[in-house]
Amino acid sequence: MKTSLPWKLWARQVMAILRIELAKNFKRKRAIPVYVLAFLPFLLWQTHSLVHIRGWRTCSGSEDLMVYAGVFQVFVLRLAIFFSAVAIFMNLFRGKIVEKTLHYYFLAPVRREVLVVGKYLSGVAMMVIVFGAGTALSYLTAVNHLKLTASRAVVPAAMADLPVYVGVTALACLGYGAVFLVTGLLFRNPIVPAVAILSWESIIVFLPAVLKKFSVIFYLESLCPVKVPFHGPGLLFTITAEPTPAYLSVPGLILLTLALLALAALRIRKMEISYGTE
Amino acid sequence: MAVYKRGYEPYEGELTPEWSRFLVIARQAYRRVFESRLLVSYLVLCLICPVACALIIYLPHNEGALQMVSVGDLITIEPGFFLKYMHLQGWLGFILTAFIGPGLISADLANNALPLYFSRPFTRTEYVAGKMSVLAILLSFITWIPGLLLFAFQSYLAGPKWFWDNLHVAYALFVGFWVWIILLSLLALAMSAWVKWKLAAGILILAIFFVVAGIGSVLNEVLDTRMGSLINVVQVIDTIWSSMLGLASRSGISPANAWMSLAAACALCLHLLSRKVRAYEVERS
Amino acid sequence: MSGGRIVFEDVSKFYGDVLGVNRVNLSIPPGITALVGPNGSGKTTLMNLITGLVRPTRGRISVLGISPDDPERLFKVVGYCTQFDSFPRGKTGYEFLYSSLRLHGKSHAEARELTMTALELTGMTDAAGRRVAAYSKGMRQRIKLAHAICHQPSVLVLDEPLNGLDPMARAEAIALFRSLAAEGLHVIISSHILHEVDCISDQVVLLNSGYVVAEGQIQAVRSEMNQEHPLQIMVRCSRPGALASRVFTLDHVVEVRMHADGRGLLASTRNPDLFYQALNQAVLEGLIDIESVAPADDDVHSVYQYLIGNEGEAL
Repeated sequence: MKTSLPWKLWARQVMAILRIELAKNFKRKRAIPVYVLAFLPFLLWQTHSLVHIRGWRTCSGSEDLMVYAGVFQVFVLRLAIFFSAVAIFMNLFRGKIVEKTLHYYFLAPVRREVLVVGKYLSGVAMMVIVFGAGTALSYLTAVNHLKLTASRAVVPAAMADLPVYVGVTALACLGYGAVFLVTGLLFRNPIVPAVAILSWESIIVFLPAVLKKFSVIFYLESLCPVKVPFHGPGLLFTITAEPTPAYLSVPGLILLTLALLALAALRIRKMEISYGTE
Repeated sequence: MAVYKRGYEPYEGELTPEWSRFLVIARQAYRRVFESRLLVSYLVLCLICPVACALIIYLPHNEGALQMVSVGDLITIEPGFFLKYMHLQGWLGFILTAFIGPGLISADLANNALPLYFSRPFTRTEYVAGKMSVLAILLSFITWIPGLLLFAFQSYLAGPKWFWDNLHVAYALFVGFWVWIILLSLLALAMSAWVKWKLAAGILILAIFFVVAGIGSVLNEVLDTRMGSLINVVQVIDTIWSSMLGLASRSGISPANAWMSLAAACALCLHLLSRKVRAYEVERS
Repeated sequence: MSGGRIVFEDVSKFYGDVLGVNRVNLSIPPGITALVGPNGSGKTTLMNLITGLVRPTRGRISVLGISPDDPERLFKVVGYCTQFDSFPRGKTGYEFLYSSLRLHGKSHAEARELTMTALELTGMTDAAGRRVAAYSKGMRQRIKLAHAICHQPSVLVLDEPLNGLDPMARAEAIALFRSLAAEGLHVIISSHILHEVDCISDQVVLLNSGYVVAEGQIQAVRSEMNQEHPLQIMVRCSRPGALASRVFTLDHVVEVRMHADGRGLLASTRNPDLFYQALNQAVLEGLIDIESVAPADDDVHSVYQYLIGNEGEAL
């Protein structure tokens, strides 16, 4: 006799895990740097706007959208979301092993795969809410500021890019989240892989087109509405690759995320509690 | 068979001098550091650059080499050469700090070891000095010690005039690297004390360098200023080293501002250490 | 039939080169079962194997017919009070239990009610609103106990549950274990405190260096050892000298020691049943008047001493 899978029960359990983890993720002191990183661009754009309104400095607004794109791609995607994902997703399992509290989850009548999904979703939910809001607020502030400058004509077109920026932010949270969830499960000291991934994502601009496709940042930058040219001493060594179209990069990133989650589920099924060796 | 009376008898032998007692911590830490093959390999790797620099210094003074290479291809040994050396070794030192630093205090905090340290004739200052010495000694071996040896080598080959003309380079190598070592050690210890989890401390150290530098750049770009460079550790140290070597820095901040920024960072780290390195912890109910 | 039992079939667990437990075959019935052995003998490994926190290198385990690989079913019936003295950060005692019950799939009202019941049973109601991190060692032990029983399991696995408890709380905890066992639960306890194990356990599993050295009811285990370690029986009576000369004629009596006060003796016998028959005979013949008769070394402590000796220092 074929028995159907208890999807309803799993959904209830995922919700219970989400409730527990989200409350922890949002409330704990260690989340403060994440909030700072997410809302710092917003505060800076507010200050930029205020400086103009007060007449302390004039701004034509011609460069603002390009500066925003640069800040978004270099700071928000490569640094803020990257490091926040390291902090949040590595803490989901590796942090609990170090705190010696993971066994409380393992002693609950919950499939370990469900636990992976619940914990991952809690991290993604927190990151998407915080960084999505941060990106939306900073972009709205930057675009609203344009209304006060000579570049006000570009405002309607610029507003159309808002969902794209928020969407790219969400995809970055999904992608980097899955990468660091797996890293936290596979490595006892995830700093080495984190540094390796950071280095890889940083040097990708100098690598051939084939290798670029093995990075999260390449797909994310392909989706960004404004392309930012590379500046710096290494300009001569950069290699330009054709950006991947959205109909490939979005499902590609989602598939990569699912594959990483499957790997995490496989790893956690075999996981044993042996805190003594940590 | 004799029956001996057993009782507590205090140690009456000679004690190590108080001033050097903090080195006990360093000795213990090194035992663990040198157990790791990865770290030993990395330390060896860190010495490749000084060896290469020594070769570069030697080439212009070797007749055979001069016949093979045109003089124009040779690198001139001047303060700029030593600045590049300082940058490279400085980065290698940073990576070494990111590996060793996070576990220095966090492990003691996580295992409640601080009460054990401070229940002995061992002060908080000695404890921090001991932990700092772990990094300071290792970093010295890959920064100013080979740097001064290179300077001495070049002086020997180029003659006394070069030595007296470039004496400020030796000063920059010694003081500049010590500034870097103190900053790195304080940052690493403060992060290690702030978070009990070694890995989180490691991530924080990386974040301080990369994310804070990013924040500085964003400040510069969005607010059209150069003040953001004041929180960029790399630009601050570049300004200080350049000024010591008599070179112009590209950071756009003045050496005085850079020194102030550095002093503020060190003060913040010391404040964090004084708050966290205590024999007890109060848990609010 | 393993439906109502916890069964180990040729189970071994190695941590790399280190032996956890080896070739364990057990069938644990309902009631209180004590795991006894020195440090590192494999008690915690055995408990972790039951609860799936570690996987056997070889062999098979079943808990009331459920494999520890199936946490979804297993932890509906199993509660585990571990030795780890760590708790999720920032939670109060109430929140700790409540969130765990929500994870079990209980509704808000149900979780609330079960939390209150568990807190009451463990005497933690007053401290429920305080953060676990600020609890004393005894309170942390009790909240862990509450966590293990809050979902009303049929199998309770307790790793050193009496550690850190004051005498009052200890007595209450023991009473709780007894009442749970009386309801038909499997209560598996590891402990170093042998006289308490002796008081509460229906059966014991003695472990040493990863091997099971004895299992079953303590008296049954003891009687199996009678040939190697004759049972000591203390008799307080009148005319102990006459009794001594009578029992010395018996083959199974290997030693008799007179009490210093001249009002009793300690006899060592390889066949207690025959010894008691001889004692009855002596009373019927009017040879002696008996004040008291009691076996002197049929408790867990003695069995432990005989089987494990001084390798493990138990209390």
